[in-house]
Amino acid sequence: MDRRVDGEAPGLEARIEALALERRQQAESLRPFDANAWLGEPAGFPLAREMQPPELLRALRGCGIQAALVSHWAGLRVAPQAGNSALAQALGGAGEALRACWTGLPLFPREGGPLPGAGSLPLAAGAVRLFPRSHNFPLAYWVIGELCSWLTEHRLPLFLWHVEIDWPSLHALAVAFPRLAIVVETQTQKILYQNRALFALMKDCPNVHAETSNLAGADFLRWAARELGARRLLFGSFLPVNDPWVALGMILEADLSWEEKRLVAGDNLRRLLPEARA
Amino acid sequence: MSGPFIVDAHAHTGAMSMFFCPESGAAELLARMDRLDIQCSLNAGSWTYLMGGGGEELEGLRREHEASGGRLLYLGVYDPRRGREALRELDQACRRPGLAGIKIHPTFHRTPAESPGYEALWRFAEEHDLTVLSHSWSSSEHNPAQALSLPGRFEVWVRRHPGVRLVLAHAGGRGDGRAEAVRLAREHRNVYLDLAGDIFCYRLVESLSGELPPNKLLFGSDFPWLDPRANLSRILLAEIPAEAKRRILRDNAQEAYQLNLSG
Ligand SMILES: [Zn+2]
Repeated sequence: MDRRVDGEAPGLEARIEALALERRQQAESLRPFDANAWLGEPAGFPLAREMQPPELLRALRGCGIQAALVSHWAGLRVAPQAGNSALAQALGGAGEALRACWTGLPLFPREGGPLPGAGSLPLAAGAVRLFPRSHNFPLAYWVIGELCSWLTEHRLPLFLWHVEIDWPSLHALAVAFPRLAIVVETQTQKILYQNRALFALMKDCPNVHAETSNLAGADFLRWAARELGARRLLFGSFLPVNDPWVALGMILEADLSWEEKRLVAGDNLRRLLPEARA
Repeated sequence: MSGPFIVDAHAHTGAMSMFFCPESGAAELLARMDRLDIQCSLNAGSWTYLMGGGGEELEGLRREHEASGGRLLYLGVYDPRRGREALRELDQACRRPGLAGIKIHPTFHRTPAESPGYEALWRFAEEHDLTVLSHSWSSSEHNPAQALSLPGRFEVWVRRHPGVRLVLAHAGGRGDGRAEAVRLAREHRNVYLDLAGDIFCYRLVESLSGELPPNKLLFGSDFPWLDPRANLSRILLAEIPAEAKRRILRDNAQEAYQLNLSG
């Protein structure tokens, strides 16, 4: 290695530390609210490791993230009811910082156990996710229309991984329920190859939002904010599979105004979630 | 130094057909580099070049190098299915400034990494002291052709050509390829790993830094598939010493690609 670089090393390291500190402080002042944190044993990510609620909270706080909407892998891997029970138990004493994203099923045929739309709404439930592909039902009005009406009535947003949907069905649903907030999540494979469909859907349907953990193409945040509005983007970390600094870093460094960054980092999600009920 | 100092060891330029990407050209890459303290990027070929294009694409990269004032260095692409022609083009490129190495992509080129079709490339790299950058990944149900780029497949070449520096892009991916990539980089002086792409795994920078010798890990973006911002903040904010960050962001690329960054 050449000598000149060695001579510069201390100066560069000081600059690196300054850049890191600046980002850490910015992250905290954005008051991030994570739309995409997970409990339970991850499915499909062999190198990812499960976190218990206290560890998850520590990992979030370590990146300046104030609060998170939390899902449970058992809702996908085992059954929606199993995931919902596990989530209710895990978040029981977790306080305001962790809100639950329940897993749902169609309301007919009626299935037993804790499900959104059947029986009373659990405390701290903030949103509902469906896995149409994995749980074998079409994303169609005649199958989940009743659930979507119930979600609209209770002001609960509907979350969907892009790998679990087909775009024409989601478009039809978004048009049929214009007051239902729909969040398209950029997991569990990068959404890059689907972005023509995603952005066209968002343009046509103002109730559709995008979660940003893997909305990672060149300047997509700036492009989407300009073309579709910063109110349509929701920060998600996908912790503990992903490093939260990836998605946070894209927001911190984006060519967006401070107000726009605040919206994307957390205020949009705060607006979409119903009030937490004690 | 006060100017840009980071080296992006893995980028691309050019139009993409399979996804919407309004800003993928050299000018857009340079604008991001200015914005993000990136001094120099290694351009590992356009989509057209990677998918079988030849001499004209290489010439395009050379022109982008010139127009960038030397900030965009480039790699020639070796596709074994047009190996003889590719080497002829690379031989010409060697005589002109800006060529920093050779990119291979066993998955795109549907040729297992250990195939004899790559032999001439390794001999050429040795003769011309050029670094080889290869795509590497884990086995994947979703994309079975990724198996062609499993890190272990490169070992035969790494042993046979210890003078050629090999950079395994994406550090073996998000599954079983990771451990193999780490093993190769630990056991062989000439093997390096880059962080390009969406291997966004939690604590990856920290764990790779702990497992590898300090000179082996390189920052890369994979622009325009990914925004350079995606991998940059996680390195700056990783819980590792500042010296390790400096190496990942600059020095290791300088060593692996034998760059002269003094400008
Ligand atoms: Zn690449």
